[in-house]
Amino acid sequence: MTATITTGAAARSPHAADGSRVFLRQTWAMSKRSILAIARQPALVAPSLIFPLFFAALGASSFSKATNLPGFPKVDSFLSFALAGSIVQGVLFGSVTGGAALAIDIEDGFFDRLLASPTSRVGILLGRLAGAAAFGAFQALFFTLVLIPFGVRIASGPVGLAVIVASGGITGIAIGGFTAALALKTGSSEAVQGSFPLLFVAMFFSSAFFPRQTMQGVYRRIADLNPISYLVEGIRGLIVDGFDTVYVAQAIVVPIAIGVASIALALRMLSSRLAAR
Amino acid sequence: MTTIVNSAGPSRPVSGGSFDHTSAPGGTVLRSSAGLAIRGLRSIRRLPSAFIPALMMPIVQAIAFSGTFFAITKIPGFPTDRSINWYLPLACCMGAGFSGIGIGFSTIRDLETGFFDRLRMAPTPTASLILGPLFGAWIRMMIVVTSVLAVGFAIGARLTGGVLGIVNLYIAGFGVATVASGWALGLAYRLKDMRAAALMQLTFFNAIFLTNAQAPLFVMSGWLHTIARVNPFTNILRLARTGFLGTVTWDDTWGGLVAIAGMGAAAMYFAWRGLRELGN
Repeated sequence: MTATITTGAAARSPHAADGSRVFLRQTWAMSKRSILAIARQPALVAPSLIFPLFFAALGASSFSKATNLPGFPKVDSFLSFALAGSIVQGVLFGSVTGGAALAIDIEDGFFDRLLASPTSRVGILLGRLAGAAAFGAFQALFFTLVLIPFGVRIASGPVGLAVIVASGGITGIAIGGFTAALALKTGSSEAVQGSFPLLFVAMFFSSAFFPRQTMQGVYRRIADLNPISYLVEGIRGLIVDGFDTVYVAQAIVVPIAIGVASIALALRMLSSRLAAR
Repeated sequence: MTTIVNSAGPSRPVSGGSFDHTSAPGGTVLRSSAGLAIRGLRSIRRLPSAFIPALMMPIVQAIAFSGTFFAITKIPGFPTDRSINWYLPLACCMGAGFSGIGIGFSTIRDLETGFFDRLRMAPTPTASLILGPLFGAWIRMMIVVTSVLAVGFAIGARLTGGVLGIVNLYIAGFGVATVASGWALGLAYRLKDMRAAALMQLTFFNAIFLTNAQAPLFVMSGWLHTIARVNPFTNILRLARTGFLGTVTWDDTWGGLVAIAGMGAAAMYFAWRGLRELGN
């Protein structure tokens, strides 16, 4: 049996325009709920704000001499180099929290109550992802503003900063799609939290913490294939080098491409879950 | 003759035996502790999802750090040309620490389910409530460190300090597991719920990274250098690395032994006081 995902209200309304309006209203309501949930439970999201900064501070003290190594890009300080990695790291970890929140909704039955109501099924998912996007954009801005007093300069100026913040938001959706898919597949917050090591590995096998040019062998090959490398390098270029359309494309297009794949996967999982009911 | 309960059933004697209080007190403590340690090990089989991350994380860390930060071995004066030789002992110590913290998690579960109250009411020697989990942490540590070492050697680590280097690594592992167990148990006894779990991980993680974990002291600069110089975990890491960065020397060894003795005793005292407060 194949389940069809419909926007609940749209399916009931004979007028498509009314259906779209209702769909948008419902999606907005779900988005507001997930954003408020983040704001109301700071303890849940604090680690994804603190740890990336902690790692950046550690790296700045541990690897400051590494910036002179052959292959290392020209940077004012290691902290300027590390900021892009911190942003992506924070967004990745924050997305796990978002996915876990969806899994908790499934565990405590709230998800079933939503499904029983005339609410758009896609809106439930998009609402969650909107929360991830808002938090991702906030993280990008937060990390940048915290590190600026320590000597980090955004070479691409305010426009570049806007692109970085947008990239944080889109990356939040992209990774949030994967964690939402996992939540829908397993219905277990523990399983979603268990994806943390996978994201940790994905981060380390990229140029998030060190440039690809300094890596060798199989690590280099994996980092070359890892889309996170190109995302981080796009953001890093905007921070270190200045405004360039190639950097903008990397910072925006790469997470969009990941997001298309992850949302498709999440919708598939949602469809499977509905079919199983 | 009395029987202590374990999770397998309320009246099943631990290790197939029961506790005879007419035997020597030292023997009773050891037997009770061994029983509790075995119970802790059984939980690995019953709840593998709680142990596997503690095993996998240090393995992943060893691989990821040595690949990502490979270039730092090119810094003039770096003590090895193999990044895995630098990061493997760190991963072993992390694994050892999380073995101890895992024991803290189990204790929180026992406190929340009420099983720990039954243990305290049983005529079990109080010391065994700390020594049992500690023995369990040591055995977990042996499994984790041996696994991490095997992976490390498979991906290119070279032992330069001979058998003594391996002995030092395991001593460091025992030390870190002891410190982490004492700290985790102390927090578990005081907070009695999962709030302690977050605190255990966060503090241990910070303590181990505010050292020469990522780079040697001479490479560091600023605030981290100042902290790492006085952090006793730096000495333990130095001890753990002796077998991988040249030959084993007493100069690189004694500081770690002193740090393990001092911090181990302090952590065990912290746990002991916590257990006493729990009783009160």
